[in-house]
Amino acid sequence: MLLAFRFALASQRVSGTAIEANEFPQLSQELRVWAVPRIVVDGEPRWDGAVPEPEFLRRILA
Amino acid sequence: MALLRPEEEAKVREWFTELERPVQLLVALGPEETPRAGSGDVDFGAEMVRVCEGLAELGDLVSCWVEQEPEGFPRFPAVSIRPDGRDAGVRYDGLPWGYELGSLVGAIVDAGRAESTLRPESLTALGQLDRDLALEVFVTPT
Repeated sequence: MLLAFRFALASQRVSGTAIEANEFPQLSQELRVWAVPRIVVDGEPRWDGAVPEPEFLRRILA
Repeated sequence: MALLRPEEEAKVREWFTELERPVQLLVALGPEETPRAGSGDVDFGAEMVRVCEGLAELGDLVSCWVEQEPEGFPRFPAVSIRPDGRDAGVRYDGLPWGYELGSLVGAIVDAGRAESTLRPESLTALGQLDRDLALEVFVTPT
């Protein structure tokens, strides 16, 4: 979670939002959130689970 | 019920003492979606205000501001974490319960730093971004 916040803080082009899945079940269902953390990039579900910063960077830019 | 245990509160106070710039917590309240069963009778909006006001009491550079349905917030309740009062695109939608409270505290600490703690390679890549990037991380209270 904190990596997404740090990337947002470091660039005006990036936003980072944490979303509490249980409070927003409709959105969670639309994005097929079955496991957390689920990372969604530009509205597209991308992966589940925490990864190190270099891998996080690689994945969000892929 | 206290927001943090005494030893946790002392640690957070210490971290907030080290902030290098002001951090504003803009709490957005508005119509709430019906949560999943099992969430009990929690007043999420009121709890969000309690959490953010409670954190603001722990640091001179942390402040809390509450607005009803401000622009740019698709879900409620939510809190925007703003370094120097600026919208940096850092937001937490929903109530940060349990360990997730640590994520909010961590966001405040990061927002209060003058310099990013990201690796130089990450900062270089971000500097070369030619498009906007929206990162969303779904979490649950644990």
